[in-house]
Amino acid sequence: MTHMDIGAGVPFIDTRDLGKRYGGLHAVRDVSLSIYAGEVMAIVGDNGAGKSTFIKMLAGDHAPTSGEIIVDGRKVEFKHPRDAKAAGIATIYQDLALCENLNVTDNIFLGNELTKNPLLRLLQSRKMHDEARALLDELGIGIPSTRELVVNMSGGQRQATTLARVAKAGARLLILDEPSAALGVRETRALLDLILRFRGQGKAILIISHEMRDVFEITDRIAVFKRGALIAVRRTKETTPDEIVSLIIKGNS
Amino acid sequence: MNQPVTQTPALTGLVRLLRTREGVVVLLLVTLLLLIGIFSAASPYFFDVRNGMNIGRAVSIIGIASAFTTLLMIAGGLDLSIGAVMNAAGVVAAMVLAQTNFGVPGAIAAAVLVGAAVGWINGVFIAKIGINPLIMTIAMQFILKGVTLGFSASASKVIVDPAFLAIGQGYLHLGVAAVPMPLLWMLLSMLALWFVLRFTQFGKWIYAVGGQPSACRRAGIDVDRVIIRLYTLSAVGAALAGVVLAGIQGAGIPYGAGNELSVIAAVILGGVSLSGGVGLMEGTLVAVLLVGVLKNGMTLLGISSVFQMVAEGLVLVVALTLDRLKGRL
Repeated sequence: MTHMDIGAGVPFIDTRDLGKRYGGLHAVRDVSLSIYAGEVMAIVGDNGAGKSTFIKMLAGDHAPTSGEIIVDGRKVEFKHPRDAKAAGIATIYQDLALCENLNVTDNIFLGNELTKNPLLRLLQSRKMHDEARALLDELGIGIPSTRELVVNMSGGQRQATTLARVAKAGARLLILDEPSAALGVRETRALLDLILRFRGQGKAILIISHEMRDVFEITDRIAVFKRGALIAVRRTKETTPDEIVSLIIKGNS
Repeated sequence: MNQPVTQTPALTGLVRLLRTREGVVVLLLVTLLLLIGIFSAASPYFFDVRNGMNIGRAVSIIGIASAFTTLLMIAGGLDLSIGAVMNAAGVVAAMVLAQTNFGVPGAIAAAVLVGAAVGWINGVFIAKIGINPLIMTIAMQFILKGVTLGFSASASKVIVDPAFLAIGQGYLHLGVAAVPMPLLWMLLSMLALWFVLRFTQFGKWIYAVGGQPSACRRAGIDVDRVIIRLYTLSAVGAALAGVVLAGIQGAGIPYGAGNELSVIAAVILGGVSLSGGVGLMEGTLVAVLLVGVLKNGMTLLGISSVFQMVAEGLVLVVALTLDRLKGRL
């Protein structure tokens, strides 16, 4: 076993010998990892270590070429991001995946709009704005108007909008790819608080990050990838940034 | 002189309005009213109910097709097979009338089916195979032109059924105004599709797909299906326009309309961006009327049709230039 379990119970998601080949390139090889509800796990590694490919398989963006994914103890196959979403897995990419030409409410409800009249599917705009407002307030997200177009918003506000959408969709595992890359100090603070709030709600959170300070502040465990393989999993409380950096670079501590 | 440029609140408000899509429509509307004022002053025949209705009929074919393809273009698509579909639809409708007993409903249904099939094929090749919309719909234009000419033996199919002719030549009498049926069809199409864009989930998805298709996919929207539906809808609109055109002409003419560029130009003039994501049906309506008024007014003033074509092109360039420049205000 290359990973340590954090405790009792069935993990929300398990990967078993998960691998991905692109022709001759072995991007991810034999990764077995369990992620539990209510834990924040970081995935760290150098560029090309296979982090992005790994999360894309969890997100249903790429199909694995070997191994399997188990959600809630059942084997799943994600043919499409939709399938992963249906299994409660939400991914937030660096490009944030928002429609900039739409407003905050539209983006929060994108694909899950509240409608009446099953034939015409009329939008319930007022209701969606009210619910979006309530959700933003509940999550402590400071966005003045739910009618503001995303194109006019700051990086932090966009990220918060994306996270609010994910929360709305009832995701059980949130995957964040370099979430603080484009954020200022205060926005990063707000993001970390939001992540901890999600953890408090019992969601599992997987975050790819290069920011060791953020990683050590909010995660419970750290998984280190190197050349496509999972080489170590450490409890955050029982390791140091030096050890992690050494693992990333040299492959050992 | 370090003072900031002072602007009155009214001016700032105006600038802000013009940056919105509603602002584009307002600007077009003001231009339309100005044109109407100028032509009314210049020609005694312009400002007249009957002339207004003539303009309405003249723009109706372009208008019907524009209404449908506006949805497609807001989603970032492009359909250059519109003119070919119109011709095919007219010929098919005329042949069904002449050679079967299905009557007017059968003729219209056959034309719409042809349009739907063509649009669906366009959509599948563009969404599923990933062929560039420009190339796919130009190819479809060639294919359809050839098939239509072959099928009809390059001959116009005369229509004599009075009920069918009424679609293009009839009037709805409202007080002093005799509203030509084609204008009515155009306004009904625009009203229905305006409703779809503004109030339905499908309308919201059209804007979303035009804005960021990858975001839509991740949100679980079946983007391919939306795109295929929109190409289908665009061609169905062209087929309906073809039916009305056949009614006006009293024949299905296999080599008649080649007006997809006028349709696309009107939609763009109305504020739809070729890259998708923005636009309003109101803009398409006003733009279609603007082009119609411009052509009609120039005709009444004795300006040659050669220059009218130049003018239509210039209007488009001026409009898009202003659209670019207003971002720098």
